[in-house]
Amino acid sequence: MNNKILETKNITKSFGTLKALDNVSFNLYEGKIHGLLGENGAGKSSLMNVLSGLYHPEKGSIYIKNQKYKISNPDFASKLGIGMVHQEFRLVESFSIKDNLTLSRSNIYIDNFKTAYKKYSEIFALNVREDEAVSNLSVGEKQKIEIMKLIFNNSNIMLLDEPTAVLTPQETLQLKNSLVTLAKEDMKTIVLITHKLKEIREFTEIVSVLRNGKMVSNDLLTQEVSNNQLINLMMGKVKKSQINKNNEIGDIKLEVKSVTSKDPVNNIKKLDDINFQIRSGEILGLAGVSGNGQVELANLIAGIEKNFEGKIIINNNDVSNKGVKSRKKLNLSYIPENRLGVGLAPGVSVLDNSIVKDYFQTKLGPHLSKNRTVKYLENLINQFSIKAPNPKAEISTLSGGNMQKLLMGRELIGNPDVIIASQPTRGLDVNAVEAIHNLLITQRNKGSAIFLISEDLDELFKLSHKLLVIYEGKVIKSFSTSESDIESIGLAMAGIGE
Amino acid sequence: MNKYTLSKRQAVNELSTFYSFLAGFLIALVIGSIILLIQEKNPIDTFSLMFKLSIGSVNSLSSSLNKATPLILAGLGIAIINTVKLWNIGAEGQIFMGAIGVNLFYINSNLSNPTILIFLLLLSAFIGGAFCILIPALAKVLFGVNEIITTLLTNYIVIGLTIYLVNGPWKDPNSLNFPAAAYVGKEVYLPTMFGKLSYGFLICIIFTALAHYLKNKSVFGYEMRIAGGSEMTAIYAGINAKQKAFFAMLIGGGFAGLAGGVELLSQTHRVSTGISQGFGYTAIIVAAITGMRPIGIFLVGTLFGALSIGGSVIQTIGVSTYIADIIQASTLFGALVIQFFFNYKLLRVDDD
Amino acid sequence: MIDIQLLGLLNATLQAATLLFVAALGELITEKSGILNLGVEGMISIGAVAGFMTAVNTNNIFLAVIVGVLSSSVFASIHAVVTVVLKQDQTVSGLILTILGLALSSLIGKNYVGKKLDTKLDSFFSIDDPSNILQVLLSQNIIFYVAILLMILVSYTLKNTMFGRRLEAVGEDSKAADSMGLNVTKTQFIATCLGGAFAGLSGVYLTLSYVPYWTDNMTAGRGWIALALVIFGGWKPYRTALGALLFGFLEALVPRLQTYGFELNPYIVKIAPYIITILILVLLTIYKGGKTGAPKNIGIPFFRENR
Repeated sequence: MNNKILETKNITKSFGTLKALDNVSFNLYEGKIHGLLGENGAGKSSLMNVLSGLYHPEKGSIYIKNQKYKISNPDFASKLGIGMVHQEFRLVESFSIKDNLTLSRSNIYIDNFKTAYKKYSEIFALNVREDEAVSNLSVGEKQKIEIMKLIFNNSNIMLLDEPTAVLTPQETLQLKNSLVTLAKEDMKTIVLITHKLKEIREFTEIVSVLRNGKMVSNDLLTQEVSNNQLINLMMGKVKKSQINKNNEIGDIKLEVKSVTSKDPVNNIKKLDDINFQIRSGEILGLAGVSGNGQVELANLIAGIEKNFEGKIIINNNDVSNKGVKSRKKLNLSYIPENRLGVGLAPGVSVLDNSIVKDYFQTKLGPHLSKNRTVKYLENLINQFSIKAPNPKAEISTLSGGNMQKLLMGRELIGNPDVIIASQPTRGLDVNAVEAIHNLLITQRNKGSAIFLISEDLDELFKLSHKLLVIYEGKVIKSFSTSESDIESIGLAMAGIGE
Repeated sequence: MNKYTLSKRQAVNELSTFYSFLAGFLIALVIGSIILLIQEKNPIDTFSLMFKLSIGSVNSLSSSLNKATPLILAGLGIAIINTVKLWNIGAEGQIFMGAIGVNLFYINSNLSNPTILIFLLLLSAFIGGAFCILIPALAKVLFGVNEIITTLLTNYIVIGLTIYLVNGPWKDPNSLNFPAAAYVGKEVYLPTMFGKLSYGFLICIIFTALAHYLKNKSVFGYEMRIAGGSEMTAIYAGINAKQKAFFAMLIGGGFAGLAGGVELLSQTHRVSTGISQGFGYTAIIVAAITGMRPIGIFLVGTLFGALSIGGSVIQTIGVSTYIADIIQASTLFGALVIQFFFNYKLLRVDDD
Repeated sequence: MIDIQLLGLLNATLQAATLLFVAALGELITEKSGILNLGVEGMISIGAVAGFMTAVNTNNIFLAVIVGVLSSSVFASIHAVVTVVLKQDQTVSGLILTILGLALSSLIGKNYVGKKLDTKLDSFFSIDDPSNILQVLLSQNIIFYVAILLMILVSYTLKNTMFGRRLEAVGEDSKAADSMGLNVTKTQFIATCLGGAFAGLSGVYLTLSYVPYWTDNMTAGRGWIALALVIFGGWKPYRTALGALLFGFLEALVPRLQTYGFELNPYIVKIAPYIITILILVLLTIYKGGKTGAPKNIGIPFFRENR
């Protein structure tokens, strides 16, 4: 750890009352692979956005090779040699690989593109011609191009935001080898942003841990820390489920019977023979890495997607062929994973968004009287302590937490029999998460049957009575939360669950 | 070195559209004044003359309101369609189609009761306008064809059709060299309320209220707003977004068609290429400037109607009638510029 | 021996097509950068009147062309300021640009209605009565050859040069382009003004050769056809040229129908191009499953969230 290439001192960045970064000091060393570990919402992305010039911190300073800089925009960051690979790729899909690699202003391989492409194709084990359109590449290949783009743009500090989230295990291993080569041979400084311990272990030499916007540990040598230490650092005290799960369980409210659905284009099974039932007062958790069929399953139960085989029974009514509204009338609520865009309509007012669930019910109609809708919203605001001062304001003027509370409130206020809650706390701060959890527990105690879809194991353990693990559209294992440990569930989520 | 970057404002002032319009109108008056000065005309004299000749007497005021009527109706149609976030550039064609609808029904009917006949003629104007947008609407909801270009192209098709009709099958032999269809009978003229003010303006008021109800108060309007905000949310809420878009387009087209019908029955009394003088395009300005609000469209449409009358009468003192168009267009440009400052703020960033 | 009338038809087709094509090519460049400019009609009009006035006053055709092209370009910069810099709605802004352009050109051109030109935009070879296809081709106006050159140039630039690829990258995915360090705002601004310049060239061709005189609203919807041509041509210069030839042919055919003894109604023939365009649009959308070749970012203002 000799060559310090980048150092941040006491960076503070807040959004409203939320301190995204609190006095963060952080070091990067030349030619090393670093891990930046933290849970969702710990401030990893904010820190990277500060380094890449998108966020401007209120306090603190950044030194590159011991010289102080103010990184005011991404262009300046890239001039300083800082480049970032975001989770959503920034590639021009219809363009060739070559175009994507060479169009940058700061490109250094214009003249000897062919040799450079050959060299890095080998390092990345990429076997595609340079004139292939990016849209024809697999996700893994696209990511290789994204990382190569940084190299071609002369970035020496490469920030990779959760690069393995979209990769298969083989691809992950491949990526590791490529990054090691880059660090060793090209002296690239690499930062791997992740919340997966396994990757910290396999990829990195040095690890820093963020928790709730604070840097809780810096410059740890990966070899010298144990997993338990890292978990403790990342999560604070590991909370054992402390809520009472001995509440009253009643009749079956939701039943999913051998549900199978196929992608209409390539006929691949998106869901494969799913079976479960949830009783009144019961919370059933569905664990799994995003993209393993969770969204499809939730949409099928809610009636948004209709192309499937099998049966869905709500309150003893077979609703397999029924539409969204008739399922709502059986008192089903759905809190979709995509908050703004599905659950809430962007560009539309808070008031309009607050009545999406009930607008067609007689209590508001037939003319959607302003008085009644405003009262409805006020009731939501009071009952769920939502901060939304202006009903006419556009929905996205609310904070993430308040948006989610509005969405939850809207879906919960009718005391639903069945609730599908998909990633209900993703991206929210600690207080908002706590509030959302309490809402779900209250609702459970009132007798709702809750289907909780989440990636957050803490949340699943804390709230659910039983857990299913979904992998590639199949429920591969089920657990009772009181009798199982996080490790075996983690293995199952990775598909290693027989 | 100082650099500025943009940031979206979290809360936008509710009255921002109104302020932007006012500021835009002032900017437009300044631009108009400059043009007048270049032409060696006194702007204050010219504007006060325009003012006097457009709203100074009962007669001129009623002319202005008559002029505003098709503008407002077409503007309302555009606003209704924009509720689902679609554009109707085809109001001009729909106005013509409305007039064609009136004449088609008129020459084929032998109803004797003029009240019922007028009612049915207005209905056929509405249907004509809706028919005019049918193809773009179907193309949009079935195949996703961009509605801006298709509605625009229908203008040329319908105006071509009008020229064909008034030169061919509908040509009035008595109109000598001017190609026009025969006049409709006096019994179906929309009567005047007072001065020259036609009952068409009353229809306009009723339809403004109707559009306001439809867009802002009705369940249908609510479903349109959600569908316009996000198709995914609409599906999630059990709303058929495509169906809403389709009906919004037909109704909006119908409003513009009605504008043509009212114009025919109250002003031109026959089908000719003079049915609309660009009302369909000016209506887009009116609708856009008010942020697609029906009441706003009514007010700004009235103002623009007066401007057009003022613009056409000041020709007599040698000022181009186009000054009115320029003021209207500049108002919207000015308003757009001001709106920017309501929506965004500039942040200063210090570079080292 | 080819029918003299057919040669006349070919000649008229090429002229009408040139006028449409130049404007369409400009719009194509603008749209490739992700900016939709519905103001083509207004921009042609501004170029037409500015060029005409300069020609009448100075008798200098070259200067007239320059002035016409520059005026339209400056006029297009209004759209660039409003949509690129201030990020306002492109549809609205483009439409008012048309209304403003038509009104402004009528206003400033008022005293020039009916004036005669002493000099016109000429052709390289003056062949009075072309008697074969080659002579027709050789006798075309300078702008015709300029248009062909521009077509090749634009096509080559977009496909093979850094500037062209970057322009297209901006229009395809402005976020990705931004991450490549490209200046999205500057690119779109330039592309919009370039589009204006092309429309201006089309305008001066209209008043200095095609018609040649000045009167109100003489653009007669050609700007809108130019817009349709871009879609028709799938945002490709050569295909757009083909479209221009088709539309030019129909425009040239109308006044000649009766001489050929056709029973087709000329008014109906006149609207045929618009009907055909809608049909082609629908067919293209169905056939290509929504992939009409449109730049993906068209109409969406670029905004980088800095906080």
